Amino acid sequence: MYRSAARRILPAVCRRTGHFRSKASPVRFSAPIIHPAAFSEAAASENARNHKPNNFEASRISSSSSSSSNEGRKPRVTDRPKAHWQEEQARVLQASLRHVISLGWSDAAMIAGAREVGVSPSIVGSFPRKEAALVEFFMDDCLQRLIDIIDLKEDLTNLIPSNRVAKLVRIRLEMQAPYISKWPQALSIQAQPSNIATSFKQRAMLVDEIWHAAGDESTDIDWYVKRTVLGGIYSTTEIYMLTDTSPGFVHSLSVVDFRDTWAFLDERVREAFDLKKTVQEAKYLAEAVGAGMGGSVQGFVNNLFKG
Amino acid sequence: MALRSIYRGLKKNNLLSPLCNSCSHLHSHSTSFGYKEVREEEKSQMVGNVFTSVASSYDLMNDLMSGGLHRLWKERLVSKLNPFPGMKHLDVAGGTGDVAFRILESINNVGRRAMRDIHDDNVLDETQIFVCDINPNMLNVGKKRAQERGFGDNKSLVWVEGDAEALKFEDGSMDGYTIAFGIRNVTHIEKALAEAHRVLKRGGRFLCLELSHVELPIFKDLYDYYSFSVIPALGELVAGDRESYQYLVESVRRFPSQEKFAKMIAEAGFDKVEYENLVGGVVAIHSGLKF
Repeated sequence: MYRSAARRILPAVCRRTGHFRSKASPVRFSAPIIHPAAFSEAAASENARNHKPNNFEASRISSSSSSSSNEGRKPRVTDRPKAHWQEEQARVLQASLRHVISLGWSDAAMIAGAREVGVSPSIVGSFPRKEAALVEFFMDDCLQRLIDIIDLKEDLTNLIPSNRVAKLVRIRLEMQAPYISKWPQALSIQAQPSNIATSFKQRAMLVDEIWHAAGDESTDIDWYVKRTVLGGIYSTTEIYMLTDTSPGFVHSLSVVDFRDTWAFLDERVREAFDLKKTVQEAKYLAEAVGAGMGGSVQGFVNNLFKG
Repeated sequence: MALRSIYRGLKKNNLLSPLCNSCSHLHSHSTSFGYKEVREEEKSQMVGNVFTSVASSYDLMNDLMSGGLHRLWKERLVSKLNPFPGMKHLDVAGGTGDVAFRILESINNVGRRAMRDIHDDNVLDETQIFVCDINPNMLNVGKKRAQERGFGDNKSLVWVEGDAEALKFEDGSMDGYTIAFGIRNVTHIEKALAEAHRVLKRGGRFLCLELSHVELPIFKDLYDYYSFSVIPALGELVAGDRESYQYLVESVRRFPSQEKFAKMIAEAGFDKVEYENLVGGVVAIHSGLKF
C-alpha cells in the first residue's frame, strides 16, 4: 500500500525534475495486477515491463524526493541560490554519510558533513532527532537504490520466488555492508522509543517493495502474513550479518563477503516458503480430523444428554 | 511611579511637544511600553531605566517569579541549539550571562571531552561566545557571575555592549544567535530579526526564548492572576521596584502571539520557522534556519 502511494507521488515529482526514472514508474503502476494471487506462481507482470535505458542522476536526488516530506517540493538543486532548506539538509546528510565509517552515526559525523558542504554546523541542531535523521536518510536512500536496481534488473523473472526474495534481501543488505562496523549503533538508534515509529514504517516499506518486486499479488490476510514473515527474516539476517566474519571468496572477478550470512538467508527463506506449504497441509489435516471427530463428538454429546 | 510622574509632568508643560513636532516628521509611530503608549525614542530609554534598576536582583527575581523553572527553559534552549566546539555564537540581551554560561559548559563538558581527538582541541580554542547587551549594568553583573563560576579568564567569553537593532558584527559571522527574554524589550522587533538574519552564516540558527501567550482556558486565568497580582508585589518586596515588574508583566501581554511572531521571523528571511510551547504557552522557543 505504501508502494502504490509512493508510485503515485514519485512520477509527479520526477516529471517536474525531468528525471528519466519516471518513465519506468508509470509503466510499472499499470502492470496488470489482475494476475491470480497464487503464492508460488511466477508472476508475469515483470515481463510486461519494458526497460528503457535509464539515465540516473545521483541517488541523493531521488532519495530526497522519496523521503516522507514530499509535499511542496520545489524545482531542482540547480536553481541556486534559491536552494530549498530541505535540499540543503539532504546534501548535508549525504555528505555526513561519508564520515559515518570513522565517526559513527553521531553528531560528529553530521558536523563534519556540514563543514564539508560549506554550511554552518549549527544546522545539525535543526534536525529533529539528530542521529536518527541520518539513519533514516540512509534507510530511505537504500530503499531508493533498491527500487532503481529492481527497475534495471531483468533476471529476477528467471528465478523462483523464494530465490527472488532472497536475492533482493541480499542486494539490500549488501548496501549496508560498508557501514557494518557501525551498524549496531544504527540499530540501537532505530530502536529508541522516539525513533521506532519511523524505523518501523521504513522497514514496512522496504518489505512491501521486496514482495512487490518478487511478484506478490495477494490481497487478503496473506499480504500481512507475508510481510511480517519477510520482516522477521530481514531483521534476523541483518543481525546475523553483524557478527559474520566469514572470509570473502573470489567469485568470478568479485570478492563476495558475508558468505555465511547469505547461506543463513537462503535457509530462512526456504523455510518460510516450506512453512507455507506445511501450514496448508496442516490446515487440510485439521479439517479432515475435525470432520471425522465431529461425528464422534456429536454422538458422545447426544449420549450424554440422553443418559 | 517615578517614571510615570515625570512623563506626565513633561506632557503637561508641553515640553515634549517641540520634540514631538520635529519627531512626528520622522516617526509618526508610537510603541508600547507595557500597557502605555510611548514614543519610540523613549522606549529604549525607559527600558534602559528598568533594567538598570533591576540588574542587581535580576537573577533572584527570575528564580522567584518562575519558581526556578527559568533554568529548565534555558537548558531546553541550549539543548535545542546543540552547540559544538569551534562555534561562534551571539547571545543578545544576555546581560547576566545565563545562556552563555550554559553554552560554554555544554561545549566543554566531560562527555564531549571523552570523545575528542587532537583536531577537536584546536577547534575548541576557536569557540567564541559573544554576550551582547544594551545595558552596561547587566553586563557588569554578568562579568561578576562569570568570575564566580570560573569563566573569568575564559577567552571564549566576550562581553559586548550593543543594540540588538544595530549589531556591530559582520555579515555571516555567527553560527548561532539566541535571545532569551529580551526581544519583547526591543523597540523594533523586525529590525532585531533582520539584524539576526544578517549576522548569521549559511546554516546558522536563530533561537528565541520568550514569555508568550497562554490559551488554555483555566490555566490562562490562573496565569493572569499570578502575573498581575503576585509578580508586581514580589517585585516590590524583593527588588523594591513595583513599576518595573508591572512593566514586565504588561509587556508580555503586548508581545505578538506565537503564530504572529513566527510569521515575523519568516518575513525576516528565515526558513523552517517553528516554535515549541513550554508550560502550556507561558514560554515559547521560536527557531529559524538561515540559508
